[in-house]
Amino acid sequence: MSKHALRIIMVVASVVLMAGVGFVVKELLIPKSFGLYGPYRADAIDEETQRVLRHGTNASCFGCHQYEATIHLTGNHKTISCEFCHGTYSDHVSNGRKIATLPVKKGDEITTLCLRCHNTEIKARSTMVIKTVGVPDHLKKQNVKLTHTCNQCHHVHAPLKYINEAKKITGLMEVK
Amino acid sequence: MNPTLYEASQNLSHGASMLISNYVFPNDLHVHWSMMIVLYPYITGLVDGAFIIAALYYLFDVKSLKPIARFSLLFAFAFLCCATLPLLLHLGRPERNFNMLLTPSPSSAMAGFGYIYAVSMGVLSFIVLFVYRPDLVERGKNAKGFMKLIYRALTFDSADLSEKALALDGKIIRFLVGLGIPVAAVLHGYVGFIFGGVKANPTWSTPLMPVIFLFSACVSGISAIIIAYIIIRKIGGRSVDSDCIRTCIKTLTVFFILAFSFEMLEVFSHSYLKTGYHHMVEGLLNGPLASSFWLWQVKICSVVPLILLGCMAFITLKDSIYTFIAGIVSCILLLQVFIMRWNVVIGGQLMSKSARGYTVFHTEWFDKEGIVAVIIIMLIPFMILFVLGKIFPFWAEERKGGIQ
Amino acid sequence: MIIKDFPPNQDCSHENFPPSIDKRDFIKKVLKGTIAGSLFLVFPMDISSVGSTAVKNSETTNNIDPTIKLPEEIPEIRDRQYDIHKQNFAFIVDITRCIGCGSCCVADKREYNVPDGNYRTWVERYIKDFDDQVYVDCPNGGLDGYQKPRTDIPLNARDTFFVPKLCNMCREAPCVQVCPVGATFTSPDGFILMDSDRCVGCAYCIQACPYSARFLNPITKTAEKCTWCYHRVRKGLLPACVEVCPTGARKFGSLNDENSEVYKILKGPGVLTVLKQSMGTLPALYYMGQRLEVV
Repeated sequence: MSKHALRIIMVVASVVLMAGVGFVVKELLIPKSFGLYGPYRADAIDEETQRVLRHGTNASCFGCHQYEATIHLTGNHKTISCEFCHGTYSDHVSNGRKIATLPVKKGDEITTLCLRCHNTEIKARSTMVIKTVGVPDHLKKQNVKLTHTCNQCHHVHAPLKYINEAKKITGLMEVK
Repeated sequence: MNPTLYEASQNLSHGASMLISNYVFPNDLHVHWSMMIVLYPYITGLVDGAFIIAALYYLFDVKSLKPIARFSLLFAFAFLCCATLPLLLHLGRPERNFNMLLTPSPSSAMAGFGYIYAVSMGVLSFIVLFVYRPDLVERGKNAKGFMKLIYRALTFDSADLSEKALALDGKIIRFLVGLGIPVAAVLHGYVGFIFGGVKANPTWSTPLMPVIFLFSACVSGISAIIIAYIIIRKIGGRSVDSDCIRTCIKTLTVFFILAFSFEMLEVFSHSYLKTGYHHMVEGLLNGPLASSFWLWQVKICSVVPLILLGCMAFITLKDSIYTFIAGIVSCILLLQVFIMRWNVVIGGQLMSKSARGYTVFHTEWFDKEGIVAVIIIMLIPFMILFVLGKIFPFWAEERKGGIQ
Repeated sequence: MIIKDFPPNQDCSHENFPPSIDKRDFIKKVLKGTIAGSLFLVFPMDISSVGSTAVKNSETTNNIDPTIKLPEEIPEIRDRQYDIHKQNFAFIVDITRCIGCGSCCVADKREYNVPDGNYRTWVERYIKDFDDQVYVDCPNGGLDGYQKPRTDIPLNARDTFFVPKLCNMCREAPCVQVCPVGATFTSPDGFILMDSDRCVGCAYCIQACPYSARFLNPITKTAEKCTWCYHRVRKGLLPACVEVCPTGARKFGSLNDENSEVYKILKGPGVLTVLKQSMGTLPALYYMGQRLEVV
């Protein structure tokens, strides 16, 4: 064999060797749990499981806020999440300690919040699901000032609480 | 609502009723694949086309291509070196690019890129080294010190220029070029398949996509070689081989007719089949892409070159005029392929998957994927080519020995 | 005057299914959960193991006050061995109950700190007129709710409705198929999850998702998507959006649990559809009362 042919064989051999080394390095660098269930890193499932909870549940709020709980759970708003209006649990409590005060909505903010769900003008809302009102029609019909905010008549946690109590007193509605 | 978007949707003829709200899914407002992903298939396309020219000479013995065969190899190599740059700039986490090699997902069309690229790079490098071995041996003899070492490495430390050794080289070159054709076809056809395999996008998901990409790649590569050849020769004050140009133009004509036919076939079958998403494709081509597709890609950059190529084929022209028109046609076709890539990549993403509206794409100048970055990336291969020219002589007649 | 309340058989609480349970039962259930939960904290045990590492209960409910117990909203998950291969979850969206309040969108953004302009879930508003014209909008992904009617369109609406959107958890997920590095995957329990440590940010999955449920997080530069709150589900909690939905338009549960609402719906005769069925993605997200116009 000529020297030239030998050189070429050496080139081919070195290419094969490089590919082999590359393959070994590749195998070494693949994360451990990769391929356990499929072509992905199985530990990523655990990591996703460990993600910090930001929302609790209503029950996690009621543990401390028992007074609000008794009202909230008796009214039509019992299905509303505390955290939607007040903010997430994790912004308020960390490791069992209160870390910050969640803001409480006031005045017009409350009306805006109520109309998010209860605005009749948004035609898409089924009457089977939710009772809606038109503003200011509703205020006019109820003979109150147009500047009234919703929570002046409706308790935000149990919207018919005051109204039912008033009706009981005036005898407009039978006592349940 | 964005007024231009609204007008665009109003301009649609029929099929417009579903579009009137011009609703774009909230996550669809942003165009994720922008100019870098236009550039990437463009660059691999240039590599592919240039390689085809070299293959025609080294494998299929088209003798008239001899003057540019070696230059095409270097040209392909210079651009292949930069093919990954746009991808790296595009990636959100470029530092993790080796994940593609470490854990390529067997189900993904994109996962093969690292390996296909590595193989084509290896094949092309060895073709260049074997083709240039006689020159490198000659130059190595006169070199001193560090340069001598480089020449020794590039010639595999074999100064053997005997007829037997050169015959062996010839065989290896033919083998590598034969291997290089499928590798180049896969490298670029697969780029087309990356788009063709996205069923969520009605303009992309067609089996024609890899074919269109492959043929338009050949068009862009051959055009680029013609222009580069003419310009570099004229600057150097040397003659342009007219026979070579004529062969290139003939090859270019064949590939361009194929590319353009398939591009039009895709549009035609969309409008004939009228599938559920037809209104979106039609609205796209007649709305946001009305000028970039119909005016620029089809009328200016396809019909005009077709007429010119027809004239060049049927009318006997003087060599100087022929060369001049060849240069013009090649320039237009380079633009055509770029606009086609733009219309496919960015145009395709303008359609929201809501099938009810189109988003808009804003070009940036100084973004990571902006126009300046595009220009810089397109300049790098020419710098590489300039440096390569110092070691590897471009033109065949400057060579003293060798059998090619 | 008759006070209109939720009709009794339309009780929209997701917290007290089976749907006819009253408040007292609900509180009892919460208390039971409390006692059971504290016992498990006293006797920590190896409850669930995924792959190579075991996840301890005390770790999983990390930041929640240990003295306040979270109710077990998805039964038979917490405090027991979680066999990752034998789970079957379903998500049902009942668009006849969606009022477009956007609570789900707000909760989702808060649970994951989703960057502005990107949405793991969103709520669309559809308006259809008598000429079959369909007008869809979704300002800010529904985060601000729908406070005002649309004024930019003719007001002769025939039908209007809201459609919540989220990850479809396709059983033939195109995003998983196209991911070049295995950074998104279908876990053995059927969730499509993201491995943000491997993601290279190529955005191919975003192109491949027919529902546009994915986005590239502008801060981490990796792809992100709705996970049906996998971390909550593994703790026996409902996904955040289901948790806050006031009307029960979003329902989630295990199909291994014959008492779950989703099991009953899927077993029942009601019409359920999926989005873009022609894509062949086989979603595990079902829609009740879905209209023709929704894509």
